[in-house]
Formats: sequence, C-alpha cells, structure tokens
Amino acid sequence: MQSGSPKTKTPFATTGRSRKGEPWIWLTAAGLALGVAMALGLFLLILFKGAASFWPGRIDLMEVSIDGKTELIAGYVTQETERRDGARKVHEEIQVFRGNKDLNGEAFKYIDRANILKSTRPESILLVERLEFGPAIVNGVAVETPQGRIEVGKHGFSDALKTMLQQGADSRVRLLKIERKKIGAISRELEALGRAKRSQSVASNIAADRRKVLQRDFDRLQAEAAEIRAETAKSKFVGVAADGREIVVQSGSLLGFFESNRAGFFGRVGEMRHRIWKFLKDDPREANTEGGVFPAIFGTVIMTLVMSLFVTPFGVIAAIYLREYASQGLFVRIVRICVNNLAGVPSIVFGVFGLAFFVYFVGGYVDQTLFSDKLPTPTYGTPGIFWASLTLALLTLPVVIVATEEALSAVPRGVREAALACGASKWQAIQRIVLPASLPGILTGVILAMARGAGEVAPLMLVGVVKLAPSLPIDDIAPYIHPERKFMHLGFHIYDLGFQSPDAEAAKPIVYATALLLIVVVVTLNLTAILIRNRLKKRFAVSSF
Amino acid sequence: MPQDHHIPDPKRFNVSRATLWFDRFMGWLIRCGGVAVILAVFGIFYFVGKEVVPLFRTAEVGPAGEIGAETASAVLGVDEWGGLPFIYDGGERVVFVGVEGGTRRVIEVPGLAGLKVTAYAFDAVHSRVSLGLEDGRVGSFLVGYERKYGSDGKSMVEPSVTLEPWFTLENGSGPVTAVSYGDSGAGRVIAVRRGEGAAASVSVLRLGMKRGLVGKGKLSLLEELDVTSELGAVPLLLRASQNGEMVLVACADGGVVYFLADSDGVSKRQTFRPFDSVPPQQMNFLFGGVSVILTAEDGRQEQWSLFRTDQAGERLFGATKAFPNLGEGKVIFAASQRNRTFLTGAGRELSIRHSTSGEVRWQGTLDLDPVTAVLDAKGEHFIVAAADGEARRYSIHDPHPEAGWRAFFGKVWYEGGSGPVYQWQSTGGSDDFEQKLSLIPLIFGSLKGTAYALLFSIPIALLAAVFSAAFLPLKIKRVVKPVMEIMSSLPSVVLGFLAGLWLAPVLETRVPSVMMMTLLVPLAALGIGYVWCRLPIGFRNRFAIGSEWMIVVPILVLAGWIGWSLGPVIESFLFVYKDLATGKEIADFRLWWPQTFGISFEQRNSLVLGFMMGFAVIPVIFTIAEDALSNVPKSLTAASAALGANRWQVVWTVMLPVAASGIFSALMIGFGRAVGETMIMVMATGNTPITEWNIFNGMRTLSANIAVELPEAPVGSTHYRTLFLGAVVLFAMTFVMNTIAEVLRQHLRDRNKIV
Repeated sequence: MQSGSPKTKTPFATTGRSRKGEPWIWLTAAGLALGVAMALGLFLLILFKGAASFWPGRIDLMEVSIDGKTELIAGYVTQETERRDGARKVHEEIQVFRGNKDLNGEAFKYIDRANILKSTRPESILLVERLEFGPAIVNGVAVETPQGRIEVGKHGFSDALKTMLQQGADSRVRLLKIERKKIGAISRELEALGRAKRSQSVASNIAADRRKVLQRDFDRLQAEAAEIRAETAKSKFVGVAADGREIVVQSGSLLGFFESNRAGFFGRVGEMRHRIWKFLKDDPREANTEGGVFPAIFGTVIMTLVMSLFVTPFGVIAAIYLREYASQGLFVRIVRICVNNLAGVPSIVFGVFGLAFFVYFVGGYVDQTLFSDKLPTPTYGTPGIFWASLTLALLTLPVVIVATEEALSAVPRGVREAALACGASKWQAIQRIVLPASLPGILTGVILAMARGAGEVAPLMLVGVVKLAPSLPIDDIAPYIHPERKFMHLGFHIYDLGFQSPDAEAAKPIVYATALLLIVVVVTLNLTAILIRNRLKKRFAVSSF
Repeated sequence: MPQDHHIPDPKRFNVSRATLWFDRFMGWLIRCGGVAVILAVFGIFYFVGKEVVPLFRTAEVGPAGEIGAETASAVLGVDEWGGLPFIYDGGERVVFVGVEGGTRRVIEVPGLAGLKVTAYAFDAVHSRVSLGLEDGRVGSFLVGYERKYGSDGKSMVEPSVTLEPWFTLENGSGPVTAVSYGDSGAGRVIAVRRGEGAAASVSVLRLGMKRGLVGKGKLSLLEELDVTSELGAVPLLLRASQNGEMVLVACADGGVVYFLADSDGVSKRQTFRPFDSVPPQQMNFLFGGVSVILTAEDGRQEQWSLFRTDQAGERLFGATKAFPNLGEGKVIFAASQRNRTFLTGAGRELSIRHSTSGEVRWQGTLDLDPVTAVLDAKGEHFIVAAADGEARRYSIHDPHPEAGWRAFFGKVWYEGGSGPVYQWQSTGGSDDFEQKLSLIPLIFGSLKGTAYALLFSIPIALLAAVFSAAFLPLKIKRVVKPVMEIMSSLPSVVLGFLAGLWLAPVLETRVPSVMMMTLLVPLAALGIGYVWCRLPIGFRNRFAIGSEWMIVVPILVLAGWIGWSLGPVIESFLFVYKDLATGKEIADFRLWWPQTFGISFEQRNSLVLGFMMGFAVIPVIFTIAEDALSNVPKSLTAASAALGANRWQVVWTVMLPVAASGIFSALMIGFGRAVGETMIMVMATGNTPITEWNIFNGMRTLSANIAVELPEAPVGSTHYRTLFLGAVVLFAMTFVMNTIAEVLRQHLRDRNKIV
C-alpha cells in the first residue's frame, strides 16, 4: 500500500499501465534473488555441515546380513546415498562410521538398507576416544589397574575410569615434557656441537667430553620415558566391540568417553562444546584426520599478523605519497592504474614471485652471509612463514593503498586548509588532522587485507605452507621467534585433508569444521571492516562543511 | 613556508627549526616510501621475467682445450666429465689423452693382439666399441672410467678396457665390413655385414644373458639370422638401436629396412624410403631409441620415429621432422645421452640441434676437418677429431635445450605420437622421457574454465546489478551490497573443496535436473512478470516497488524444485543409454553422453566448476557493474522518465547505454578474477590437460598447473622456468584485461562528470 506514493526511494515509479518490459524486470529480480540466495545458501551449508561435524550422533547397533552371514555392526550413520549396481538397480545405502580401525582396517562401512535386519540403540555403547586408530565404539567390560580389575556395573567402575583418564592425561604431559623439551634440547646441542667441530671452533677433546655427558643425560631421559610408558601400560580399559572382539586401551592413549545413546540433549550439547574446544586447542593426530587444528590456527594468525605489520605502513605511506605529495599528473594516473591492476593479478603469480624473489634471491643471500655454517642446508633460502607473510603483504598492498587513498580523499579539503592556515606544516597537518580523520578508513583497508590474506592459499603453497609442521613458528626455544620455519594454515589444511589425504572420508568432518572456522574468521573480519566503514560514512556526513 | 625573508617575522609566527626539519624529513621519507612501493610493484615484472629469459637463449659454445693424439682417429669416445677422451683406430690399442695437462695413456685391449679388426663402431651410451674381425668373428670391448681420489684429495679419472666374448658368424663369407651393437641389459643384438658390394650379406645376432646365481651371468648366442634376402638391395649402413630392440639397414636403393628384435626373434617390419632413391649417408638413433636421424648424401636431414597410426596398429617408422639441410662434406653425428640434443654437421660447418622443437640451438665453423665427434654424458662438452688425430674440445652451455617458442606455443610432433599436437606433460616415469611443454593446453584450460564460469556468472551478476541499481530500495541495498562483498572474500579453497567433495558427487547423477532448473527458473521469472503486470493495479499497489525480488523467491524455489524432481523423468525419456552388449536400455545421462557424442563424462567437470566459480566471480562483476549503473546521472534517468518512458525503458534505453563501458569493465575484471583463480581450479577440474570444449569434463589451467607442479620442480630447470613462463602468460592476460577495464572506468567517470 505504501508504494505508488511519491515517497518511494527508487529513482522513478511505474506508471502502472505500461506492461512493456515488465517480465524483464522480474528476470533481473530473479537474478538478484539467485545471487543473494547463493551467498546465503553457501554460508548455511558450511554452517550446517561444520556444526554437524561436532554434533555427537546416536550409535546404532545393527544386525546386517552380508553375503548370507549375519554380522553385528555398531556405529553412527554419516551419510545416506543411492548407488546403482551392475544391473542398474538402485540401492539405498547408508555410510556408517563404526570406528575400531585397529580391528576393521576401515573406519567406514557402506551398508545396503535392505540388508539391515534389526537396528537398536542400546544405552551401554561407549564412544571411546584414543590416541591411535581413531575412536572405538565398544561396550565397556572392565577397568584393569595395578590394584585389580573392576568389571563394568560394579561399584567403583566409573571412579576408576575417571582416575585412569586423569592418570593418562598426566603421563602424557610428563612424556611431552621429557621427549619434546629435554631430549629436544639435547639433540639441538649435539647438532651445534657437530657444527662447531666441523668449523674447528671447539677442541675435539672438549667436544668428546661434552658429547659423553649429553649421551648420559639422553639415556637417563629415555629410561625415564620408558618407565612412564610402562606405568601407563599397567592400567587399561577393556571393551568389547559389537562383533565380540576385545579392544584394550592403555591409560596412556585413552582420551575420553562419551555415552552417545544415554546422553540427553544437554549432554550432547556439552559434548559438542567439548569437541569444539578440543578441535581448537589440540594438535592434529592420525595424519591430520583426528585431533584439532591448533597449529593451523596459530600459523594462520601469526602469518596474517606479520603480514599486516608490513602491509600497513607501506600501504599507508604509498597512499599518502600518491594523494598528498605526488603532483597529480599522467604519472600518478598511470601508477594508480597499476595499483588497481595489481589487485587483479592472480594470487598464484604473487606466489611465484615470492618464491623467486624472497625465497631464492633474498633468502639465498641471507643464508650466504649469515648462515653460511649451515649450508648447504638452507635456513632462509627455503620457504617459510616470514616469506609467506611478505608475499601476502605484497598481495594485499593494493587493498590497503586503495582504501587509504579513499579515506584520505574523503577528508574534507576545508579541514586540511584550516590546519595549514593555522600554521601547521604539511606533515603536521597530515599527522594531526588528516591521518586521525582517515584512521577508520585505513583500518577498514587493513582489516580487508587481513581477511583477504587469511583466506588466500594458492601462493602459500609455493612459499612455506606444509601439511604438518613439527614445531610452531613461536615457541619456548631460543631465539623464541623462528621466522624461517614452515607453518600450517587453515586454508591449506582444507585442501590437504580434502584432496591429499589417504583417508578422505575420515577427514571430511575435520574439513567441514576447518572450513567453518576459516569462514567465520574471514566473515568476522569483513563484517568488522564494513561496520567501521559505515560508521565512518556517517561521521563524515556530519562533519563535512 | 613561503615567507618573505626581508621583513622580520613577529616572534609568534616563527616556526621552530625542528618542525621544519621534521616536515622536510617526513616529506622525503614518504616520497621515498611511495616510490619504493611502486618500484616493488614493478619488481614483480622484473623478477618473474628474469627467470623466464634464459629459456629463450640459444646454446653457447666455446673452445675448451686442444688435444694431439698423434694417432689416426676413427672412433672417439669420452668420459662423463669430458676430460679424458680416447681414440681408437682399429688397432690393438686405445689411446687416452687428457685435455688438461695433455697426459697420454695407451691401454692395450686385452686379447686383441694378433687379430685383424676390419670393422668397428662406437656406442656412446654404453661406451662400447664393437668389433668385427677378418675371420668373421664379432665382439666388443667396453671402455670404463672410474673417478678416484688420491691422497692429496685431488680426483683423477682412471680408464680401463674390458673385452667381451667373441661370437663366430655362421652365415656369409669374407671379412666383417660393418658392425653395430645394441644392449638392453638383459639381451643384446648385433647387426653384422660381411663382404662388400653385391656379395655383402647381413646377419642379425641375438644374444641372451644367462643369469647365474652368482656373478654377472654368461652371455650366449640365442639366434643368428641371415636377413640379406629381405633387403632387396645392397646394404650400406647398419644400425642397431642402443636399447637392443631393433636393427635398421640402409640399402643402396634408398630404402631403410626395419627389423624388430624381441623375445620372439628377429623379424622384418617395414621398408621406408626417407629420401626416395637417395641412400642415407648417416643413420643414428637418438636418446631413448625411438627416433632415428637420417642424413642423405645431399645434406637433407630428417627425423623418423616409431608410432602407431591407429590404436590397434603396430609401431612403425614415419617421418616426423625435417631439419635444415647440411652442407657439403663428410657428415658427422653425435647424440646426447641425457636429452634429445644432437651434434651434427658436414665439413667444417657444425650445429647443435634439438629433436623435440626441431630447432637449431647453435651453429658454427671449426678450424679443422672433423671426421668424428662425441658429446660427453653430461652434455657439457663436445670433442671433434680430425683424421690425423688432432682434436678439439668445446664447452656447451645450453641449460634449456627443450625450450623455445615452438616448444611452448607451437604444435610439436612428439615421439610416439601420430601427428603434431599441443601437449603438456612435464614429468614422466623414465629417464628417457620426452618433456612435452606446450603451454597451449594450459592456456586453453584457463580460457575454458573462465568461459564456463562467466557463462554462469555474467547473467546472474548483471541481472542482479540492474535490479539493485534501478529498482532496489536503498534500505535493502545497504544489506545486499555487503552480502555480495563478503561473498567475494570467501576463501576460494572452501569453494574448491565444496565443488570437489560436495557438489561434484551431488550433480554427477543429476545433470538432467540441472538442465531442467536452468530452463525453468528464468522462464518462471519471466512468466511471473508476464502474469504480474496483468494483475489488477489495486492488488499490485499493495507491494512496494522494488520488492519484486521477495515475491519472486518462492516462485523460484518452486520452479527449482520442480526442475530438480523433473530431472529423472526427463532422463528416463531422453537420455537412455543402450548397452551394446546386452541390448539393455538404461536411463543414465552419465552413460548416454559419451555414447551419443563420443566425449567423456567426468565427475569433476566444467559444470560444477562454472557453478562454484560463480561465487568468486558474481560479486566482482556485480559490485563494479552496480557502481557503474548507480552512477548514471540522475538527470538522465529522470529526464527519460519525464518524457514518458516506463521503468524498463529507462533502464534499457538510458541506464544501460550510459553505463555500458562500466559494465564492460566489470566483465573484464570478472574475466581477470576467473582466469587467475587457483584453488577452485585445482580442486574441481580433475587437472587433465585436455583441449576440448566438452562441458562434462575438466581441464588443467595455468594457475592450477603452477600450484601443483612448482613446489616439485627443481630450481632453475627447464620445467621450473616454463612454469614461470606460465605465470608470465597469466600475468600478461590479467594485466591487459585489467588495464583495459581501468581505462574504461576512468573514461566513464570523466564522461559522467561532464554530464
């Protein structure tokens, strides 16, 4: 009813009589609807799939007839598909995650719906998370500790289980401390000793003595680790799989339990929260198909931060130069075309450039001058996080330049002139008046650059990303910051797990979860930038005179 | 500060020196920084280009030592490092002469004393000199080199000579007049000619290696076959391929007879006449043993390779390439042992040629008359020797012999192929693999992927832009534009992963549904428009202008759903595959498509790719086109509306023409985005370098190719630099497109200002 009134904000109104071309307008409307629907649909799809990968499903215990024999299979349904066999008959199939990779080899099984004889959901089934072989789906039998064996259902079973979980977690922490930190320190010293010996900066008898000491420490630590391992092997959880085979999990590799069928809605929400938390903070296991993505998050964040550290000053300086200092002529026009152009250069080309220039040219030079004792093993002459950050800084430079230029030009001329008229020097005017006024715009540019950089993968494949980095680029080993190290990245994690993983099916939940995480990061950054920009527009709408 | 210095300033106007200095400093710093950033941007051109330039350099050859062997040279061989050549003249001794220092060593061939050698030939691949004796025996000796390190840490090359067993010929009579030896490791082939002229006979010997439990095993004669009767003319030249798989015999009538030697025995396969009735003067196999270079007496030079003309047929020789003619004089020839380069020449004119590209890498004139030449195993030196034993060593610097304009952009007849093709295959299983480095399939792949992406994206993006600019209420526009902006920043790796692992399996069985949807959805939109404008105005006025998109959504969903479920029905009527073996009919588009059109159907295909690329391309085109349309001066649209145009007429006759260049630039930038997209291309296309426009198979794009292969390519290799060349091509493509777009946009901006 409001329409037709002159208040409508469209530039012109329908006459209401002319039908000419009206269908085309509806076609354009369909185009817009389709475009928006695609965007929203994609977000929803990722959101749904990502969230579903954390949601604990109910475990079915199925009696299935396979080749005439009846088998018991316990697991949760992960997918429902249709398959046509050789005679082109359609079979409704379900894909079941049955875990127990140590017994079955494959964690997934396709079952024809027609072959399922009976399906129940017994409450006693446990989903056991462990360090190796992925989750196990079993019925609990007993807990064995040095103090004795407690059968399931007996008094003290759940307490014993809890203690065992705690013990296992403790021993893992202790082992990590010994193996990664102490033994790692020894091997680093041995390496340094070897280098020193080669360059003959240490007398050989001193080196030999030191080597002996180190070897003794090493042996002692090894013995200590073996002792902890033996300790954890003493307590174990015994379960029995659906087909009657026994599964024993030592306390050292026991990570957790979940009674999928007993838990109520809130219990499952709690488990989901627990899983999300573990996904965010754990290291990956089992060729990245289990565990979390913490190193990838860390790598992405560090790389993006270092990138913005470089791109911000250079982008802002270039923009100030173009807008405030360079005389506006043909040259600046051409340069501006080039900068805009650069935003359209394929990201892979930046990767190629990064490899040729940063890694091999600059890195090779750095190696020759500073790390010549380690050659021919390259230190900086090989892809690493620092070079990746620089490459992406170059990639996102146009974003910052364009945004900053826009922000600078949005500062009203009058403000600038007023500052100069008050006796400010050119730089003072820029520093005190123009830059603060355009700060939100610059910030928008930087955030957009970060969003672009965080989501970019193709150039990283050439300049430093790896599927599994043994150590983080920042840790507690001197010199604490290791810009030469290779790193993991959320985007590359998706590519690697989805397309290079030997067990792509098992990796799917993690891939969807990682995709969701990446999208959330990128969309959040973008929304922030858009909000800042909108606020900025309003401010200038008021302050212009 | 522009101050007049003659009049003293009042104190309060004085600017502190520090401020002035700081201002000057910052001005300087910003200028430097700005120029540096701009330089850095152009540095990309330089550093990527720098890696590509060596590809287009020809070989550099320079003199690197002289040797006087003081013995008649007939056979010339050299060690792997090109430092210690040997000369053999058919006698009992082999003479080694060091290029540096001129040390001369003579080694007697053991067991050759007292025997009269009447024929000999050299095979550089195995470093073997094959021998034929006056009494009809054939054999060979091997020249070995070993690198030893003396006590002073200096390395020296220690030569050795070992004689292999003799075999006595049964057939023919007279002395051996020509011999050629082939060795596959497990078995060997010797081609022998006895006698001269019309009385000459040719035999082929097949040797087998009996594997003992201990030791090297014993060489034994499996078969001796007299092939003289199958030649048809007087035999002139014999050549057994180094891999021992075949024997070629050139005859006086110009024919070359090809014998295949496999485990079943020796059999004649083909007679071909490379130069009609002119007999070849030289006949040499190239590295890999699939191609032979034939040189006629009149200097013509051709390459003949084994290939199948049809799938089931046998591999036979066919002419694949013609090289520039050689001049007058004795033809010399030496093939490389690591690639398809060869050194050839007539008289003093020498050239290095490459078989794949057919290009002459180097050409030069010597100051001696060579009778024989050899290339070292690393391809870093060649040595030529004159008849009097004087020899010269030359160094070759040719790191990228496979490269060249023709190799990258031309059709090349590769070994084993039945015709010249554009092909990309950079790595292969074996050492003698011929690199196929044509960028054309990759450029084609990029264009194909882009074309299908744009085919899907352009209509949606432009329609959406028109509606958004012309009809959408401002309030909604403020939401729609950021949504599109966020869509454009979606990580392409997520899109690629969804395309490959989610969409491709879903669409694989649903192609007819997709067809129905693409047909029904636009029709439904047009249909509702047709119906809508015939509805009573009172009803229509209840909806705000610009809310059409909301009304259209349920209709579209309905149309989409109908299309989706109609797919299988259509499939069962139209796309029925008939199994030729059983005669059974199955409604399955995946089988129907290849059967009907003879082109493949793959799960990861251009359809999936086009759809997913839409997410990356639609927002780019939409944003720019929308800006262009929105910036059409109000005065124009208002004027046309005032003159009585209805709202579509305003769009069609005023807005679109005025914004045309802006829309065009949007398309250009969309093209740039699509052509350079990498992750979606890597994950959703299957990455096969094929050159057909079939929508149901994939492609390999320049960008995906770089991402997949560059991490594995050895730094500085031809492969590495070719990938850089791919990046340059990609860069050039997008740069041209973007520049056109940018210039158009600036032009449009200026024009709108005037209006």
